[in-house]
Amino acid sequence: MKMVSIFGTVGIHVSACVFIGLGMGYYLDHKLFKDKTTPWFTLIFLGFGIFAGFKHLYTLSKRKDF
Amino acid sequence: MEHPILFISLILEALGLPVPHGPVGDTLLSKLCAPYMTYTWLIMALLIILPKITMGKTEMVPGSGQNFWEACVGGLEGFMAEHMGEKRAAMMFPMIATFAFYILPANMMGLIPGFMSPTSSLNITLAMTLIVWVTHHFLGLKYHGIKYINHFTGPMWWLMPLMLPIEIISNIARILSLSIRLFGNIMAKETLLAILFMLVGAFFGPLPILCLGVLVSVVQTMVFVLLSTLYCAGAMEHAH
Repeated sequence: MKMVSIFGTVGIHVSACVFIGLGMGYYLDHKLFKDKTTPWFTLIFLGFGIFAGFKHLYTLSKRKDF
Repeated sequence: MEHPILFISLILEALGLPVPHGPVGDTLLSKLCAPYMTYTWLIMALLIILPKITMGKTEMVPGSGQNFWEACVGGLEGFMAEHMGEKRAAMMFPMIATFAFYILPANMMGLIPGFMSPTSSLNITLAMTLIVWVTHHFLGLKYHGIKYINHFTGPMWWLMPLMLPIEIISNIARILSLSIRLFGNIMAKETLLAILFMLVGAFFGPLPILCLGVLVSVVQTMVFVLLSTLYCAGAMEHAH
């Protein structure tokens, strides 16, 4: 039951990571640098977000304490 | 999608108070009269009154009422002590037990016609999540001081420019996932029940969804409590 509730939260956490990464990149491009760097920060931070999601999966798969 | 009948809103409207018909009102009074606020107050009143009635005076040999509450509190504390140790569980117990005792009746309340789950509003879940998030960072800073940054820099120092943004993104995503999970599950249950009551209410159509609703309420309470315990425990542990 505990494992179900932990691993049931993986999906939404991965998608939340991707959206947070995308949002941070979008903010940097459009608000902070005033559209001068337009596609780049969004793409880089989207990559960071996707990587963060998969790292969350990796750390969960490495846990042995439950 | 709003509920067809909410009895507290009906009573407040009969009293002449401005009950908002959208998600949020515009004046302070109508914000306070929004359904999720009034039902939160109902749950607060229940949580204050119910133990007073059932428990009475605490005795050395507990009666049935006191036995029930002792089992609830003791079970929750044991559950937390498994993850963070006796002493830290005793320290974190008031906050997390408050969440547990509030979220469970709040989720269950939407199963009764005429009531609504306050947790089916994003305002409530986001508020609770922000409390947990700020608290676990505060605990991390309190236990580790400036070394708390080791939690975010990854295992090797030369990986730091890569790991730092990733860990920060992953950490901010906790706010999003913890709040939207509870909100989404409970709102889905509420909306489904409301639609089924309107369409096939005469043929006991919502009955299977009511059974599933009990399961969802309990599981989501457990997930919220478990994850907030794990986050607080993780912030207090040493970085690996």
